[in-house]
Amino acid sequence: MTSLNDTQPARRTRSDRIADMSEGVTPYLFVVPGLLLVFGILGYAVVGGAILSLNETDMFLNQTYVGLKNYQSVFADPRFLNALWRTLLFVVMSIVLGIVMSMVFALTLYRVTRGRRFFRGLSLVPYFVSGVAAAVMFRFIFTTSGGFANAVLGTLGLPTPSWLGDPALAFLVAVLANCWFMVPFATLILLGGLQTIDREIYDSASIDGASDFAVFRRITLPLIKPMMGVSLIWVTYISFSTFDIILALTAGGPQRATELLSIYMFEVAFLELNFGAGSVLMMVLLAFNTALSILYLKVFVLGDRRRKLEQ
Amino acid sequence: MSMANTSSPRSRNRPVRDWSGRIGRTALIGLPLAVLVIWTVTPILWAVLASLKEPLEIYESTSLLPENPTLDAYRKVLAMDGFGRWLFNSALVTVVATAVPLTISILAAYGFARYAFRFRHVLLLLYLVPRIIPRVSLIVPLNSLMSDLGLINTYWVLFITYSASAIPLATWILVGFFASIPREIEDAATIDAANMYNRLRRVMIPIAWPGVVTAGVLCVREAWNEFAFVLALVNETTMRTLPYQLYVLKDAMGVQDYAVYNAFTILTILPLLLVYLLLERRVVDSIVSGSVK
Repeated sequence: MTSLNDTQPARRTRSDRIADMSEGVTPYLFVVPGLLLVFGILGYAVVGGAILSLNETDMFLNQTYVGLKNYQSVFADPRFLNALWRTLLFVVMSIVLGIVMSMVFALTLYRVTRGRRFFRGLSLVPYFVSGVAAAVMFRFIFTTSGGFANAVLGTLGLPTPSWLGDPALAFLVAVLANCWFMVPFATLILLGGLQTIDREIYDSASIDGASDFAVFRRITLPLIKPMMGVSLIWVTYISFSTFDIILALTAGGPQRATELLSIYMFEVAFLELNFGAGSVLMMVLLAFNTALSILYLKVFVLGDRRRKLEQ
Repeated sequence: MSMANTSSPRSRNRPVRDWSGRIGRTALIGLPLAVLVIWTVTPILWAVLASLKEPLEIYESTSLLPENPTLDAYRKVLAMDGFGRWLFNSALVTVVATAVPLTISILAAYGFARYAFRFRHVLLLLYLVPRIIPRVSLIVPLNSLMSDLGLINTYWVLFITYSASAIPLATWILVGFFASIPREIEDAATIDAANMYNRLRRVMIPIAWPGVVTAGVLCVREAWNEFAFVLALVNETTMRTLPYQLYVLKDAMGVQDYAVYNAFTILTILPLLLVYLLLERRVVDSIVSGSVK
């Protein structure tokens, strides 16, 4: 007993000294394994894609450096311009529809008094459905014969269009399927924003006789600005990189109406085996996504998170 | 609750409008709530109903409900050649691609949340930047890299790519949770001569448990539903996961048996929905509280 008590102080200082010395290395030991994996794979892919985009790969997988030739031929391709235009339209429509829906749903869930927990939980269900499954489900809702949409329209005596055969309608169905998949997460983010607002602000506003819309515009919206930013990032990111849903829903058709950049990239690289052009398209996708995300992050989020970390 | 709070002062001010106001307010919530429920449930419910119908009923009958509900379609799916294998593939990949990134992310998040070190902000940013890289954009170079490494059509290629892409989000969530644990609590445990492993296992992880669960569920979700990587990195039938097989099912079936198709869809989403059902509270709370973004 006594001997143990005697040795303990000595051991403590020694281990303290070791701790002091290793303090410099320890945090890196925690952080590096993940960084290696993330950068070994994802970082490699980005760099590898950049290199591939400057090379031409022949049928024996030999690569020759061709400079910007791939870029020139891709940018001059009308199919690329179609995909680019379709993507922008798809993203804008998805953002507008998605944010409006998320906002309405969030306000609804916020105001629900009975069974709020149940409805909140239910609203997130599509987030857990795979993109492929969501696409297959939407296909069965909109198939011409035996689909839910046309069964309902037919019963009401309304015209029953060929949803997935018509370019404009198929595009609309793709936007809807995309929204179904991405709105739930955005809704809960916005709901989180609404719940942080002090109720007393609403009370004093309604005593002052402000209309519901004025309250929403002047009080609610400014106060949930950061959450709005997060939802916007999510919705934009998902829409720009939608792949599963479109490939399984329409595969880019009909008549290339839903051929977004991601689908076009997949076809060029894996069906036409043109890895150079495929990588050019990858760089285009990356550039758009990075630019938009940086913009949003600067405007809405990073300051907020950094403040939290430094507290 | 909110309704009562916001409407009571107003009704006191203008009692005349109270009655119509209440109906208006109920409609204002009830209507969008009905839309929300119908919008969320219809695609899944329709698939369930279709899966219970007889093979040709969808073409012949206009009834929304199955006339003679039958589980035949599910029996056919379960009896499919390879269904067990695809289910196993999905489960195996999900388990590995949850355990590995979760372990790595717990360590990394602890490092970021507890130590002040050089390049901390830069390294954290490097961890988080990959989150904005869409997975699908990486499939071209990854396919070329993995072919060079001879890893196409192996479990390894799925383990590695799934884990790598799950780490940034998991780390992001956990840094937030770990950083919010007061240092004093951890130090109190340190005085009891707890080493680093015990400090993490006995103190940090239990306190941050909701975060660990949320990060875990999201890793499970990513891996179970993943499609772009498996499509680009695997081409043998026996190596497919359930989403991949669901995607090729259309071409794999000669005559489209809608009931079987829908039963397959339901079976691919059911396991994940059960996981969600079990842990719904934690996940929803984490997202609403802004821990996941």
